[in-house]
Amino acid sequence: MRGDSGLRISHVGLRGIVGRGLTAGHILDFAAAFGTFIEPGRPVVVGRDPRASGRMAWEGVASALMACGHNVIDLGVVSTPVVQHALQNLDAAGGIAISASHNPAEWNALRFLGPRGTYLSTAESGELLDIYHLRKFRFVAWDQLGELRSDAGALDRYIDDLAAVFDVPSLREFRVVVDCCNGTSSLILRRVIERFGLDLVLINERVEGVQFAHEPTTSARMVELQLGPLMKPLRAHAGFLFDVDSDRVAMADEQGRGVSEELMLPLLADHQLSRGPGKIVISNLSSSALLEEVAARHGGRVLRVPVGRQAAMDALAAYRPEQIAVAGEGTGAVMMPQFRFIYDGIASMLAVLTMMKERGRPLGELLSEYPPFSILKGEVRLATPRVPELLLDLLASYPDGKIDRTDGLRVSWPDRWFHVRVSHTEPIIRVICEQRGAPPQALFETLMDKARSYS
Amino acid sequence: MPREHLLKIGVSGVRGVVPEFLTPSLTLHFAQAFGTYVGRGRVVVGRDTRKSGPMLQHAVNCGLLAAGCDVVDVGILPTPTIQIYVEHIRARGGIGLTASHNPAEYNALKLFNKEGQFFNHYERNELIDLYHQSDFAQATNAEIGHVTKDEGTAKAVHIDRVLAKVDVDRIRRRKFRVALDAVNGAGSVMTPGFLVDSLHCRLDAISIDPTKVFPRIAEPRPDTLGDLAALVGKTGAEVGFAQDPDADRLAIVDEKGRVLDNDDVLALAVLRALAVVPGDVVVNLTTSAAIDDIALGFGRKVYRTPVGEANVVETMQAVKAAIGGEGSAGGVIFPAVQLCRDSFTAMAFLLDLMAETGKTVSELVAALPQYVRKSGKVPFEHGRLGGLMQALEEGFPEAEADRTDGLKLLWPDRWVHVRSSNTEPLLRVFVEAKTEEAAEKLYATSWGLLTG
Repeated sequence: MRGDSGLRISHVGLRGIVGRGLTAGHILDFAAAFGTFIEPGRPVVVGRDPRASGRMAWEGVASALMACGHNVIDLGVVSTPVVQHALQNLDAAGGIAISASHNPAEWNALRFLGPRGTYLSTAESGELLDIYHLRKFRFVAWDQLGELRSDAGALDRYIDDLAAVFDVPSLREFRVVVDCCNGTSSLILRRVIERFGLDLVLINERVEGVQFAHEPTTSARMVELQLGPLMKPLRAHAGFLFDVDSDRVAMADEQGRGVSEELMLPLLADHQLSRGPGKIVISNLSSSALLEEVAARHGGRVLRVPVGRQAAMDALAAYRPEQIAVAGEGTGAVMMPQFRFIYDGIASMLAVLTMMKERGRPLGELLSEYPPFSILKGEVRLATPRVPELLLDLLASYPDGKIDRTDGLRVSWPDRWFHVRVSHTEPIIRVICEQRGAPPQALFETLMDKARSYS
Repeated sequence: MPREHLLKIGVSGVRGVVPEFLTPSLTLHFAQAFGTYVGRGRVVVGRDTRKSGPMLQHAVNCGLLAAGCDVVDVGILPTPTIQIYVEHIRARGGIGLTASHNPAEYNALKLFNKEGQFFNHYERNELIDLYHQSDFAQATNAEIGHVTKDEGTAKAVHIDRVLAKVDVDRIRRRKFRVALDAVNGAGSVMTPGFLVDSLHCRLDAISIDPTKVFPRIAEPRPDTLGDLAALVGKTGAEVGFAQDPDADRLAIVDEKGRVLDNDDVLALAVLRALAVVPGDVVVNLTTSAAIDDIALGFGRKVYRTPVGEANVVETMQAVKAAIGGEGSAGGVIFPAVQLCRDSFTAMAFLLDLMAETGKTVSELVAALPQYVRKSGKVPFEHGRLGGLMQALEEGFPEAEADRTDGLKLLWPDRWVHVRSSNTEPLLRVFVEAKTEEAAEKLYATSWGLLTG
C-alpha cells in the first residue's frame, strides 16, 4: 500500500522494518553520512538495543565510521540514554544509538546524537540528510582509518550520574515492580539492585533479540495488563514498564491501575517546578491541559510546540538550560535538565519514586491530587490531498475557540481542547480531544466523522 | 601510460584501493551477494594484517548477517588456514580479506566455496551477476544470525594436516636453524609456532608483528628479501623462509643467502609430493620444464593451464592431481592438505627433503633439472596485440604453438611464452632453454619480432 513502506528516512534519522524496506545498505550509507557530517578526527560512541538485527546494523555502522576516520567506542547492548550519557564524558564528536525503541521487534533505527548527547537540531539533521542523499562521503586514506574499542564502564558511569542527582539508597523503602519488556532496562536495574539494594521486582527480565514478551508499548493499557494483577499480591508501591531502549516508561499505581501516559509529564513538571518555580515547561500541542494547571500552581508557564522530537529539540535550543523545568510528550517521554535533556525512562522512574518519598504518599494517592481530565484519541486513514480541506472545514466549524495552526489545527476552550494533525510516522490523521471531568464523547465523535468524510 | 586498476572485480573476488575505490558500501553489497549465493548457514571470515582489514570486516559481517548467514570470525589468519577451516567446519563458504602480495593500500575479498576453494568460472559469473542485479536475500529480525569469534582452532587444524604428510620426527631430530620473514602479515600469528613448536626448528625471525605495517614490498621476490638474506648470513641459518601478507606464497633463501628462483621452490615441492602421494601434476604455461622432467621420473603426467591460481586449481580438481602450482608466482598447491596455495606445506616439504637427504638447500637446487629462464615486459598499443602474436608465431614456423593463454611456442629443449597482463597494457615474455646461450638467443629473437 502506498505510504506503508517499511522504511522511513527523515529528520529523525533512519527507521524501518529490517529486510522489508530497511536494508544493510541504507544503514551503512546513513552511518557514512553521519561520519562525514560530524567533526573529523574525534571518536563516535555507538550502542544498540538487544534486537537481533542490531548486531547487523552495528557492523555496518562500525565499518562506515572507521572508513570516515573516526575511532569507534562501542558500548555494546545498552539503553539509548546510556549512549547519550557516555557521549558527555568521552569527548566524542557524536553518537549513534541503534534502536527502534518502542516499535515492534522487526523494526530497527539509527538515532543520531550530537556531542552533548542530544538529538540533532532540524538544521543539523537537514544537513545530514543532504549528505546521505548526495552519497559524497568523506573517506580517509587506508592508514588513517578509525579503530574500534569497547567501553564496558559506561553503564556504571551512567548509574553514578543518576545517583548524583537522586538519593537512590533512600528509595529502598519502596517495593517496585518493573516490566523490562526484555530490553535494556533490565541490565541497568539489575546493576542498580546490586549497588544500592533497592527492592525492585523485575519481570520479563531476560534480554531478548527476537521475541519480546509483549509489544514494547508504554501505554496505560499495556502496563495495567502486565503489572495490574501483580501489584496487590506483591504489596508493591508502584509499577513501571519500559520500552526496549528504556527512554520511555509507563506506570501502574499500588492498586494495580494503569496510569495514563499523559500523567507522567504533569507529574514530573510538578516535581521539577517545586524545586525551581517560575520555569518553563515545554510540551507539544497534543498533550494534556493538566500541564497548564500544574504549571500555574508553581508560577511556571507552558510552551507548546508541534508534535515530534525535532520541534522539542529546537524549542530547547532557544532557552538557557536553567530556564527550563522539564520538557516532554504525552507519550510518557520526558527530558529533565539534570540529565541534559535526554528522554530517559529510568530517570523518570527515580524522579517519581523521589516524589513519593518526599510527599510520603503512594503513587495512586499522589495522582489523585490532580483534577481529573479525560482524553480521547483516534486515528483515520489519510487521503493526503484532502488534508487542507479538512482543516479549513474544522476551522470554520469552531470559530469560538482559541486557534493554533502551527501543527495541523488545535482549538482550545477553557475546559476542553482538540488537536487534529497528520502523523509523522504513519499515513494517518490523529484526532486528540480532552476535557476536564467526563470524556468529551460528542465532540470526539463529531471530529472523527468529519475526518472520515475526507478520507 | 599504464592505467592502474584501482578497483577490479574479477577472477578470485573483488580488489581495490581502500576505502576510496573498495568502499565499505561495495564490500557490504558484495558480501551480501555472496551470502545470498551460498545460502543461510555459517560463513568463515578472516583477514590478513592490513590496516583496512577490521573496517572492511565489519562491512563483510554486516552484509553476511543481512543475507541471513552466521559469521564465524577467525580473525587474522593465513589464507590457506581460512580455506581449510571452511571445509573443516562444513561452513557454507568463506571470505578472506587480503590483497595477497599487493601493496598496503589495497585490499580484497577472496571468496571461497564450501570446500574452501575458489569458485569455478561458472560460479564466479553467477555470483557477479547476482551482485549486479542487487537482488539480495534480506533477512528479517527473526532470521538474522550471529557472529561468533573462533580464533584458536583453525591454526591447529591446518598444522595437523600438514604434519600428517611429512616425517615429523625426522624433521624434529635435525633441529634446523631457520630464518623467517613474515612481512608482519598473517603468517606472523602462526608461522613461528609452526616452525618452533611443531617442527622443533631453532628460529630467528623478523617482521612477525601483526600490528605493524609491511616493512618491505609485500611480494616476496629476490629484490625485496635483502633483510632475510642478511639474517641468514648473520645467524648461519640452514634456510630462510619469506611469506607474503596472507601467507599463501613462499619464497626461500638458501644457506648462502641466495633467493631461490620460484620455479625451483615449486620443483622441490613437486619432488617431495610425488614421493608421498600418487597423482599427476598441474602447472601453468609459464612454469619450468623442470617439472616435466621430475614428473617423468615418477611416471607422472604434467597438465598445463592458463596463468592464475583459479585456473590451476580447476584443472587439479578435474584430474585429481597430486600437486600443482605456478612457478612464476611462487605458489605450491597440495590437495592432500588443501586445494590452495599454502606456504606451510611448502616449508614442511623442504625441511622434510633436507632431513631425508641430508643435503643443503643449495645442493638440493643443484640436483634439480637445470634450465635457464629469462623474462621481460613489452609495452603495446591497444589493437596491436593480435598482430604481435601472429608475427611471433610466423617467426618460428617449426615450433609447436599453444594458444590457450596468449601464445606459447615449444621446442623439445626450449619454449617462449607471451601473454598480456591482466592489469596493464604490457606483454609479458618468458623464455626457457637448456643453456644460457640458447635462452639469450630465443629471448632476443622473440623481442625483435614483438618490437619489430
